[in-house]
Amino acid sequence: MHKVWAVIRREFVERVRTKWFWISAILGPVLFAGIIVFQIVQSVGGAVRHIAVVDSTSADYGTRVVESLGASRLIRATRVPAGPGVIDSLTRLVEAKQLNGFLIISNQLTETGKAEYRASNLSLQTIEELQRALNRLLVKVRLEERGVNPAVVEYAQSLRVTLDQKKIARGRTTEESAGQSFIMAYVIAILLFMAILLYGVNVMSSVLEEKRDRIVEVLVSSLRPFQLMLGKVCGAGAVSFFQFLIWGVSARVLISLRVPIARALGADTASASSMTLPHVPFATLAVFMAFFLGGFLLYSAMFAAVGAMSSNEQEARQAQQPVTYLLMISYLSIIGLTNDPSSTFAKTLSVVPFTSPIATPVRWTAGSMGIGELVLSLAMLAIAIVGVTWVAARIYRVGILMTGKRPTIKELVRWVRTA
Amino acid sequence: MSDPVVVDRVTKRFAGHTAVDALSLSVPSGLIYGLLGPNGAGKTTTIRMIMDIYEPDEGSVRLFNDVAGGRTHSARIGYLPEERGLYPKMRVLDVLTFLAETKGVARKTARAKSLEWLERLGLADWRLRKVSDLSKGMQQKVQFISAVLHDPELVVLDEPFAALDPVNRQVLLDTVIDFRRRGKTVLFSTHIMEHAEQLCDRLCIIARGKKLIDGSLAEVKRTRGGKHLIVAFDGSQGGARQVFADRRLVAKLQDFGQQAELELAPGADAQEILRALIDSGARVSHFELASPSLHKIFVDLVGPDAATAAANPETGRERETARA
Repeated sequence: MHKVWAVIRREFVERVRTKWFWISAILGPVLFAGIIVFQIVQSVGGAVRHIAVVDSTSADYGTRVVESLGASRLIRATRVPAGPGVIDSLTRLVEAKQLNGFLIISNQLTETGKAEYRASNLSLQTIEELQRALNRLLVKVRLEERGVNPAVVEYAQSLRVTLDQKKIARGRTTEESAGQSFIMAYVIAILLFMAILLYGVNVMSSVLEEKRDRIVEVLVSSLRPFQLMLGKVCGAGAVSFFQFLIWGVSARVLISLRVPIARALGADTASASSMTLPHVPFATLAVFMAFFLGGFLLYSAMFAAVGAMSSNEQEARQAQQPVTYLLMISYLSIIGLTNDPSSTFAKTLSVVPFTSPIATPVRWTAGSMGIGELVLSLAMLAIAIVGVTWVAARIYRVGILMTGKRPTIKELVRWVRTA
Repeated sequence: MSDPVVVDRVTKRFAGHTAVDALSLSVPSGLIYGLLGPNGAGKTTTIRMIMDIYEPDEGSVRLFNDVAGGRTHSARIGYLPEERGLYPKMRVLDVLTFLAETKGVARKTARAKSLEWLERLGLADWRLRKVSDLSKGMQQKVQFISAVLHDPELVVLDEPFAALDPVNRQVLLDTVIDFRRRGKTVLFSTHIMEHAEQLCDRLCIIARGKKLIDGSLAEVKRTRGGKHLIVAFDGSQGGARQVFADRRLVAKLQDFGQQAELELAPGADAQEILRALIDSGARVSHFELASPSLHKIFVDLVGPDAATAAANPETGRERETARA
């Protein structure tokens, strides 16, 4: 065990000492801080849009649109009477960035509901606000045409529905919105995919290095190949956990610093403090970690075998393709999984051990998975880890001492049988 | 006490050829044992089987009177492989510490010992440099340290002196001789006979996977030589040529003009040749009944093999490893 420990320590220390480890360790939080700052800056009011309302209606609806838009925090509107050359001069203003855009309304508005918005940047938020304002106006105008008292119309429109979204998952009702759990499942899937691929390939290149630089012969004279492989996989795994830890801690620190950051940027501290990470329940974190660990063990054993059967980087890159494709299946299914986490497709993916490391945490986060299914998925994964490691260790054992051409499938089968 | 290394009729086949063929040898304790042979003779394969890296197809290897294999006894064995391997990006001190740890040495002891050995072999200033910054010769010394750092009872060195300049070679030779003084057993392979002659107490010559001869250096020289004559002339050779041509006296002749090396015919007496030479009018300035050099014995034994195997050593090696 002392020997395996020495291998783990070497793997960990040497990897953490590299530039690349620290570049990615720092890049993560920098990216995260960037997102926070971006959100704060957006809420500062840089997003207020100045628009003109070009009005050619006979009933002067333009003034009413401007009035109705006056309630919006995001839009400052001014009425411009339609006339020859107005559109052209406004277009020039937009191009000169002195105006964000302009709305064109005519008598058609009340007849067919048509209006036009031209802008340099068609932001969804602005368009929604404009549409809402025009809709309200249209309803009001039409009701007034039929003789309904404007005060009654005002009264009818004064109330808006707020639809509270709550999620029922595993017997509990949470505040999480549909968007939030979708994004969270998506982020988890991407994180898992990246981490498994990155650190699995790390194991492969480390095996390859020992083989290419002939270190393995010395090592194998004092360690069993399996001990060596175990040490390698655990060492690389520890590095990835360390990386996650750095990211996690710095994300927490940045979130707790969001109010001072907002103040430093002169932004509204209230809006900054409302900005939070979605709450991650402990069970979700545990599932994430368990399946990351399982997926990592499963795939890094395969990557170790790939490294052992290749003699150089180029060969390894070719030989790793089947393994990468296997992992890609779950990556390509992420959208399908997050859209409908309880479909038969999603259920199948979370039982098959090669896709479950990504599929199961996604389904769990989306709340469409029972404990029974989770246990089944874990059990399948555990069985696969034992089986795959057994095969990989045999390929590894024979492969690390080989030079020359890459083995054929037939030869591989023989290695596994006889090793 | 039984011998620390006993190889009993081991055979190792790689697809297409037999690398080692029913080879037996026994390395006695406290001696320097040379495994000699031309390139591709099966030296490295034999050593890898001793080190438990390859499994023999037939036969067995016993280390310290135990069939459990080299890995079980790795703390008592030091190994310098033929193809050197160190982590190029690691610091010298870290590599040595790590390799010692894999032999079961505690981390602290490993560091202290590494520093001690680096000092001893003149590499102390390089301890914090990366392995890749070192010259080939220095890397070789680092690898050597990794083989002996844990103070093993048995040191197995596969071509330890290749690619070293004379000064560093002498440093390693002295170290190996020091091991013997301290009662350690050394098994080393080489195809350079001068090294073997300087070092070996016992030796084994193999070619094409088969043993040709083994025994103590003196024994080998006695059985293979003793009938080896060096004659030098001072000006006149008289009728020396006729004397040398006499098949009853001389079996083999290498004539260098003013000097000749010859092998006596079976049953011939050296004195008879000396008398015949003087009678023939030759002026003899040097007459020596010498034991042959190991080099000569080696070339005599494996001559044609050595020539064919050495012609293509690279492919020989490739074959050996590619089909384990």
